[in-house]
Amino acid sequence: MSPTAPDLIRAEFDRCRQIPSLVDLRTAVRGNDWDTVQAYFDFLEDEDERAVAAGLVADLSSSERFLEHQVAAHGSPLARTLLAARYIDVGWDIRSSYTAEHVSREQFQQFHGWLRRAEQLLIGVCADEPAYALAWSYRLTTARGLELGASEARRRYDRLAEHHPHHIQAQILLLQQLCPKWGGSWEEAFGFARACLDAAPAGSHAGRLVVQVHLERWLDDSDDRPSDYLRANEVRDDVLAAADRSVRHPDYRPGFHWVGDHNDFAGALSLGGHYREAAPFFRTLGDKATEYPWAYYGDREVQFLKHRRRAMAKG
Amino acid sequence: MTQQTDGPAATTTPEGMPTVDGASTGSGFITSTEVDRIPTLLAPTSGGGPVTAGLYFRVGAADETLATAGLTHLVEHLALHRHGVSDLHYNGSTAATHTHFVVSGTPEEVVAYLNGVCASLRDLPVERLATEREILRTEQAGRGRGPNHQLPLWRYGARGYGLASYPEYGTLHLTADAVRDWAATWFTRDNAVLWMTGDTVPEGLDLTLPAGRRQPLPAPTSALPVTPAYLTGGSGGVVLDGIVRRSTAAALFAEVLGRALFTDLRQKGGYSYTADCGYHPRDTDHATITAYADALPQKQDAVVGGFIDVLARLRAGTIDQAELDSARTKFLKQYEIPDIGAASLPSYALNMLMGHENLTPDEHRAQLAAVTVEDLRDVARELYDSALIQVPGRGVDWAGFTEAPQWSGPSFGPEPLGTVHRSRASDAVSLAVGREAVTLSTPRGRIAVRYDACAAMRVFPDGARHLIGFDAFVVEVEPTLYAKLTPDRMAPIDAAVPAAAVVPMPERDPDEIPQPAARRGGLKGRALGMLRSLRPGRG
Repeated sequence: MSPTAPDLIRAEFDRCRQIPSLVDLRTAVRGNDWDTVQAYFDFLEDEDERAVAAGLVADLSSSERFLEHQVAAHGSPLARTLLAARYIDVGWDIRSSYTAEHVSREQFQQFHGWLRRAEQLLIGVCADEPAYALAWSYRLTTARGLELGASEARRRYDRLAEHHPHHIQAQILLLQQLCPKWGGSWEEAFGFARACLDAAPAGSHAGRLVVQVHLERWLDDSDDRPSDYLRANEVRDDVLAAADRSVRHPDYRPGFHWVGDHNDFAGALSLGGHYREAAPFFRTLGDKATEYPWAYYGDREVQFLKHRRRAMAKG
Repeated sequence: MTQQTDGPAATTTPEGMPTVDGASTGSGFITSTEVDRIPTLLAPTSGGGPVTAGLYFRVGAADETLATAGLTHLVEHLALHRHGVSDLHYNGSTAATHTHFVVSGTPEEVVAYLNGVCASLRDLPVERLATEREILRTEQAGRGRGPNHQLPLWRYGARGYGLASYPEYGTLHLTADAVRDWAATWFTRDNAVLWMTGDTVPEGLDLTLPAGRRQPLPAPTSALPVTPAYLTGGSGGVVLDGIVRRSTAAALFAEVLGRALFTDLRQKGGYSYTADCGYHPRDTDHATITAYADALPQKQDAVVGGFIDVLARLRAGTIDQAELDSARTKFLKQYEIPDIGAASLPSYALNMLMGHENLTPDEHRAQLAAVTVEDLRDVARELYDSALIQVPGRGVDWAGFTEAPQWSGPSFGPEPLGTVHRSRASDAVSLAVGREAVTLSTPRGRIAVRYDACAAMRVFPDGARHLIGFDAFVVEVEPTLYAKLTPDRMAPIDAAVPAAAVVPMPERDPDEIPQPAARRGGLKGRALGMLRSLRPGRG
């Protein structure tokens, strides 16, 4: 988190460089070393970190065969969940990031096929271990992709929240479902984000939920050119107030989510032209960038670097 | 589905209710004797209450055909006709595999009732036939149907156990001869079991019935090529059934499943108002487990998901010992009533009729005690493997269920033989009248009913013919909807469909005769309009 020179020429998107301990996990997956994978997840302090680690495994194309082998060999809840996560990733790559009307019928069938395979693994894990946060969290993604409906997504979240009331990954996923693009409304989305932030202890990750609804709203308003939605002072103040309750609070613990947290705040502020306010978040981040929200409007690296340069110039 | 004639009948779930076997143990709970060569079971009651008795016959709706559906019900009504205005507590009921006449009163009243039922069965008051047919049609129109009413036809097709899904077409046309023949074949002394409270048979009984034979149970048919299967639609709730081997563990499992659904869907989730499960013996060796949950508005999807998860937990996850223990405690409580032998008589008699083993109270208690969580999981797997679930909205292929067949054939392949009649509403839809079958062809699939596999053909005075196949698929041959579908082109149908399948229908209101959807809008819209007017599929 040390300050970095303002004139960066590239951004770092590799989670293993952002969070060095993840390298051990990646090495273990690539080396077909299940015991180390299992030990890594056991060692992690909380579910939020496990969610980030699982996301890394799911991204590795080499994980598929490895995990299928593990599921056949012992079928542990972790192996089944990680394999489901990998299937979801494969499916979502096929669907690509286009909005629904741009996806071909065949793409949809394949997409749904992968999600069904994932879902059936996850049904089994949740049947075995009703408090298994990682599996419930991925079932929010399958519910959305398979279009199982708003009340079903909410049920899954509620089953998870029974045991893990502040699970940031699940909250981010349900928030997507609550947005109009997946059949929800802005009232529901904002309501949920604020309720999570209010319920969480001070210094939680939940501030980014408020930021994400603003970003979604902005994206929804944007057409050929970016919308002015984020420029409003009320939005800026709302984002900064959320920061005060989360990333800028003295009790904030960075964990594995800090890069994502800070990219969200930096993005919402700089995409709204509030460069001076965005600067501290960029300074904390250094070169560490995430796909979201930068890929929403152009090349992720170009966008991150451009906004960072402007912010550093002002602040 | 049980059809009640008057008041509630005793409900019997042999694995759930205590069942005792006095004859084999000599314990004195239940003794067996004979009345006019009908096997008879007796059990004493303490205190001088009324005498209760029931006469079971091994015949029900599943023994009929679609065209004659309602025969047993008609016989039951005619047999009870003479008691129509009495104050006596009695009723008759017709279920899938048995018919039950029950009475409660003084010994003299019970004797009079049973003698009257048997006298009527020996010589049915067929002069009442037209009136009773009318009464049954009125009863049908007013009867609420359970949320599971569609499942039998999708599982079994339009015959046997599947007939529970259908209207009683027989009430439209059955003759006095048909009803008399039915009574003579099925309502015989060899196909009956009598049960009665008390130590002895009262004086004056005359239950003379013709000789016959104990009828075997109908063999189950199948219209479901793959299970677990699903269909969509229905009341908005979720209903599932499955077939399991009859056992004490299976009866306990149904109790556990019902409670788990109630806990998750109502108490925890608040998605449902009702969530329950029942266990009903189907035949000698198998029972149907039926689970149901309704859905509050906006909560249908959560009910589907929660339902699937409860099933998954019981079959693949953890069943708490406490869940088993509390179901077991409830079952054991049934032994804490006085006159256990008398209370067990109906289920004991029904088991005897169905050829299913009866247990003494000690044996049943021992079986209850021996059931383990692992046994329940085995039942859960058996239920799941044979399951048919009906869900509102989208399908449940995501949970590993396969859609029940929506078409009897693919939309491609060789053209069906016979004269082809284009739909007047859509060029993409046609009807072929062949030598062996009628075939509806649509862009999404075909539906064919073979004449030799036709369960019923509804014949309308306006010329229309509705053919329902044994697989429950329907082709409605409506002359108004297809080009050149003249009487001579339809003649092969009438010539080939067996006479026993013909159901003459009353005249339709002109409004009820379908008219082709207007040829406007896109092709898709027209095709959809067409499909709606044809109501393809099963039903």
